[in-house]
Amino acid sequence: MRAFLTILGTQLRRDRWVLSFWIAGIAVFGLAVAAAIAGQFADEADRAAIVAISVANPAIVFARGLPDGSSLGGVAFFTGFAFTAVLAGLMSTFLVVRHSRADEETGRAELLGATPIARSTTLAATIVLGALANLVLVALLAAAYVAGGLPLEGSLTAALAVGGVGLVFVSVAAVVAQAMPSGRGANGASSALVVGAYLLRGIGDALGTPSDDLMRVTPSAISWLSPIGWGQATRPYTEPTLLPLLLSLAAFVVLSGWAIALRSSRDLGSSLVPERTGRATARLGGRSVVGLAWRLQRATLLGWLAGSVVLGGLAGGLAPVIAEAVADNASLSALIARLTPGGSGDTTEVFIAALLGIGGILAGAAGVQAVLRLRAEEAEGRAELLLATPVSRVAWVGATSLVAAASVIIVTLAMGLATGAALFRSGGAADDVLTYAGAGLAHAPAALVFVAVTALIFAVAPRVTIALGWGLLVIGFVLGQFGELLQVPEWLQAVSPFFHTSAAPVVELDVVAVFVLLGVSAAGVAVALVALRRRDLTT
Amino acid sequence: MSPTPLIETSALTKRFGRATALDGLDLSVSDGEVHGFLGPNGAGKSTTIRVLLGLIRRTSGSAHVFGLDPWTDAQMIHRDLAYVPGDVSLWPGLTGGEAIDLLTSLRGGADPQRRAELIEAFELDPRKKARTYSKGNRQKVALIAAFARPARLYIFDEPSSGLDPVMESVFRQQVLRARAEGATVLLSSHVLSEVEQLCDRVTIIRDGVVVESGSLDELRHLSRTSFRVAGIADVDAVRSITGVHDVHAVGGSVEFEVDSDAIPAVLAAVAQQRATAVTAAPASLESLFLRHYSVTR
Ligand SMILES: Nc1ncnc2c1ncn2[C@@H]1O[C@H](COP(=O)(O)OP(=O)(O)OP(=O)(O)O)[C@@H](O)[C@H]1O
Ligand SMILES: [Mg+2]
Repeated sequence: MRAFLTILGTQLRRDRWVLSFWIAGIAVFGLAVAAAIAGQFADEADRAAIVAISVANPAIVFARGLPDGSSLGGVAFFTGFAFTAVLAGLMSTFLVVRHSRADEETGRAELLGATPIARSTTLAATIVLGALANLVLVALLAAAYVAGGLPLEGSLTAALAVGGVGLVFVSVAAVVAQAMPSGRGANGASSALVVGAYLLRGIGDALGTPSDDLMRVTPSAISWLSPIGWGQATRPYTEPTLLPLLLSLAAFVVLSGWAIALRSSRDLGSSLVPERTGRATARLGGRSVVGLAWRLQRATLLGWLAGSVVLGGLAGGLAPVIAEAVADNASLSALIARLTPGGSGDTTEVFIAALLGIGGILAGAAGVQAVLRLRAEEAEGRAELLLATPVSRVAWVGATSLVAAASVIIVTLAMGLATGAALFRSGGAADDVLTYAGAGLAHAPAALVFVAVTALIFAVAPRVTIALGWGLLVIGFVLGQFGELLQVPEWLQAVSPFFHTSAAPVVELDVVAVFVLLGVSAAGVAVALVALRRRDLTT
Repeated sequence: MSPTPLIETSALTKRFGRATALDGLDLSVSDGEVHGFLGPNGAGKSTTIRVLLGLIRRTSGSAHVFGLDPWTDAQMIHRDLAYVPGDVSLWPGLTGGEAIDLLTSLRGGADPQRRAELIEAFELDPRKKARTYSKGNRQKVALIAAFARPARLYIFDEPSSGLDPVMESVFRQQVLRARAEGATVLLSSHVLSEVEQLCDRVTIIRDGVVVESGSLDELRHLSRTSFRVAGIADVDAVRSITGVHDVHAVGGSVEFEVDSDAIPAVLAAVAQQRATAVTAAPASLESLFLRHYSVTR
């Protein structure tokens, strides 16, 4: 027990800044949303209108959350919960992988493994740390909601729902960390599961049944497959119940137990992915810096590609189904007709445009991750080996930026094509495939700006590249999704590259914006290449 | 020895924030020699090497490799250079063979025959993923990549750390072969037998400055001789001579070390004290290094 507490203390100490940052960030976001709703929609009628519009628009339901009544809390929960839950899931995931697989990979775990503690003690401590982090998050978040003007009981339930999602992903990541061979792989797979949970409940909610008064949606059974769906089912501000969280708790207990059992019976450093032997000599492609950059990014890119194809397939596949459901619902159709007098608001197109927007973020993430490889290569000492050959820094970073840009284009294009293809399958026109490929691609320029900015950070402040690279992408996402609601001044919203992306095909493509974004990206990479020649290699 | 140094630094300093890693380092490595680069942990060996490779930028002073500035002409220098770091980190997903081919291709391509010979000599399985290699095997990958394409200058930073004795001797053979082919080698090492066997000249640094430089014979000459004397009554007669160090009794004898210029005085004192047995031995390389390494800072 002493050893356990010592290890827990060490892990806590190591994480004190990262965790404070995550928890405070999530709580501030919660406070901002609650306060914004209370401030802007103080009038019940306004809230009822916005809820009705959302219920009528499955794209909003998919991307945002489950509408549940027009009370202040109900609207705040609908607006912010799913995203907050994703943040809690990511916080938990990264926490667990940092202390388990990543440490095993670097050999740190071996030092601890030689001390007289049980094999699974470190993992158990990490799981407890994860649970504690989520507990603190629940407390702070509940306080934030109350401070934002929401009722106490609902706020507590809502915060617990967020904590429940975090708790589930503590245990999910603990299992994934046993299975994957590298920290990067474990982080990738568990974050994909977090995003998967978000999408699953998105599908379930979008396919749900709107109530007659258009004040709420009853999710379809699919939402019950997602831990985020369980959180939504607590309905904090209408009929609060903690029963669905029993599912979260059960999942946490079972998965944690499984992870600990796996760890106790597994060799240190081994994974479920068997190590096979490979080629004795390199292919032609494996003999250049571009080849290396591509090789390092290949597996990750495949993951992003799969994600974007699934999302595109969903967009194209679900849109007609949803449009039909909306058409069948007389009160919904009437509302939509009233809202969009010109009639340009085709439900199908709006739904797809919203999902393609999420695809733009995915593409940005794929590109940013490709650039972040540079930092890993440098910090782990491989850049030293590479740069002692006649490869210039410019060639090294240039090659990686090229692969990052290719990743962005591949992901956006694949998403657009998948959308068009899915639409075509369900009876759309053949033209759609091209139209939507273009609509997907329209998100590439903004995503490329993130690639350039990350390269620039790497060139001038290598030690903070990873935190800032991801952080800026999240900020871009928040500004895009919540900027309006949070009444962020327009000039500040305009800082985010995604602000300048045209939501094709609903909106005409803004060609000037495309060229400006491309120009900014190119300039950013160029400055990065110059700046990089001026600094020391830093581990 | 050729008069044009292949590597030359003068008054080289490198600061990391407030910490000074190199504090006016003068290093000179001549064409065709194997140059040992020694010093205690944290002395600044790896830092010097990184400056010479253009991976980090010097704070002041000058550094030249092949007569070029390593910061501005890094690429040019790297065409004729092979480097093996002390702690080799490889791409986890690449096999050893792929890593070797990548690194040699970037330098212009390996000689296939030599590559095969080296893999055989170092007993490396090139089909294994780097993730599964042991420390010594990772080191071998980098060594094979370095030797598989002949270079004009080899820079090794503790290259044999983690190699077993058999592999260490393979490494030594390769260094000797490289020298026979006319290459120059800068070898940072903590293995004294390796230094003794391979190096023509050595430079010892401490706290970022050179404390000793020269051929091994010259250094030996500067060093002390160990005496073991039996039967002297008055130990203080010896102890009081300047240049005598480390006097201590062992059984019935006395042991001490003597600076080379104090030897006549010591011999006279020993004779006068009617010693019954005397052994004198040149200082081992080890004691030479220990003296330089352990002086209080
Ligand atoms: N990036 C850095 N930032 C700060 N200090 C550094 C950095 N790199 C090296 N140092 C410091 O510079 C000094 C010299 O380090 P260096 O790695 O060159 O030693 P070394 O002679 O190679 O030692 P060893 O024999 O242990 O390899 C050390 O005190 C080290 O702590
Ligand atoms: Mg060193």
